[in-house]
Amino acid sequence: MRAAALLLALLAWPAQAAWEWSAPLTVNSVRGAAIFPHLESANRRGVAVSGDTVAVVWEDNRDGSPQCYLATKPAAAAAFQPEIRLSQGDCYEPVVAALGEGRFVAAWEEAGRAHARVLPGGAVLKLSDAEAAQVTLAVAGERMYAAWAEQAGRFRRIVVARLALEGDALSMKTRRPVEAKKPSDEQGWPALAAKGDGSVTVAWEDRRNHHTVPMVSYSRDGRRFARPARLTDQASGGVDGLGAGTGAMRPTLAAWGEKGIAAAWLDKRDFLSGYDVYAALDGGTRRFGKNIRVQDSFGDNMVQWHATVVGDASGRLLALWDDARDGTPDVWLSEWDGKAFGDDVAVPAASGPGAQSDPAAALDAAGSLHVVWLDRDEAAGTRIRYARAVWR
Amino acid sequence: MKRIGILLAASFLWATTVLADPPPGYPFVGFDAGLKAARASGKPIFLYFGRYGCGWCDHTNKQTFSDASLKKLYTKNYVLVYVDAESGKRLTLPSGERITEAELGVRLQAFATPLFVYLTPQGDRIVQIPGFKTVQDFRDYDRFVRDGHYKQKSLLEFLGDKS
Repeated sequence: MRAAALLLALLAWPAQAAWEWSAPLTVNSVRGAAIFPHLESANRRGVAVSGDTVAVVWEDNRDGSPQCYLATKPAAAAAFQPEIRLSQGDCYEPVVAALGEGRFVAAWEEAGRAHARVLPGGAVLKLSDAEAAQVTLAVAGERMYAAWAEQAGRFRRIVVARLALEGDALSMKTRRPVEAKKPSDEQGWPALAAKGDGSVTVAWEDRRNHHTVPMVSYSRDGRRFARPARLTDQASGGVDGLGAGTGAMRPTLAAWGEKGIAAAWLDKRDFLSGYDVYAALDGGTRRFGKNIRVQDSFGDNMVQWHATVVGDASGRLLALWDDARDGTPDVWLSEWDGKAFGDDVAVPAASGPGAQSDPAAALDAAGSLHVVWLDRDEAAGTRIRYARAVWR
Repeated sequence: MKRIGILLAASFLWATTVLADPPPGYPFVGFDAGLKAARASGKPIFLYFGRYGCGWCDHTNKQTFSDASLKKLYTKNYVLVYVDAESGKRLTLPSGERITEAELGVRLQAFATPLFVYLTPQGDRIVQIPGFKTVQDFRDYDRFVRDGHYKQKSLLEFLGDKS
């Protein structure tokens, strides 16, 4: 009787939904032991999905100098089309955002200035007159923003521009530093999240307190920005007169739900376990709540790297990063369940033997997750890999 | 008098803005310049992987690198390289790969700062040591590296032999 009840209970147990992954594809068509692709960028925006097209951007040195490349594929296609080169001079840290109907906007640093271009077609628009780096993009509806770190005296500061598109022509409507005064120390690695109402949230690394602190500001229209606030709830200050505070770096942002913004970054508040992934959520009040540790306890004594956060209008929210808890670097993801980030799950094709790292991700309009990462092989050369996951 | 006051204020300002940078008075250079200098001179590299605002780096600078004889020993015999654990500044590895200073931490699997890495003049890693260390520790590591003990034994074996 007891066995029958157990059997009935097992049969009645609802099937557990999970991400169902496609077979991984290689994105870059040129590999070699001396070719080094990189997916690093401000806000880790290396992949985007526009209509039925996936786009991936990266930098590598196949042509003898660092250049930026873009490859696309129709979502259903079994392979990426050969990549196109975006840059002419030394190029770093490209990003891409979806404009809809198969169009994209890409941005990158080239010859020490920030540039952007609409694809396919479109001419290159120079975004910065002064020396600039670490450019990033965010698009919501008709609103398009770019941000970068721009030299202003001795240090760099964060500048945000509102971009406009007419046909294939990209133009800059406004360009404003988040703070009018010159920076007192270095600022960099901006992240943007735009909302359909035209507002924009910007986060960045800031050293005004003599250690690296992720900070955040908000603007309704890209013209005037709120006074910067700390993303981290750790106070600055040394211990016994030593140092200035714990380390935190590379903030990332994502629009999430109807009104929300999510942030994730690397945080060294527990300095004996290296960087951990921390997050903070803004439900629409333009104030971020208390910091939340993202990775589960199995990642406690392991250093996490390359964190990113992605969200969508339905309220889905995920953080991805890499760590080597299983012996070699693997890509992990954790999903927000409304109260906490859930158990860490290894991305199947981005885990196991070898080194898989540097994830970038995007959620498409249907809620599918698109992930790219580096698959390192010192002898054969590094591959940029891509996989798509559907929640079933 | 006013000038002295301005100088004092300026020096105080400087002191507060260089927390946990490389120790003062040492000729630390960036990674690329250091690798080039090491290849030219044949000296090993002493790489100080620090973090802006790092308390233990500050402690090491004050307690250990303030020692005049240690300063002389390391300045004379090493190419001194400082890398900032959270910096986006670019460097080129001996392999030819261009990465950021922060990414070097990923490659070193750096848990904590400070992290001290000894490299051959060609940029190959000899040994890396995390955390606060004393003057005597750095004298031991110097013998381990420059006397070539690392070619025969691990640092732990070397230190065990020493005691």
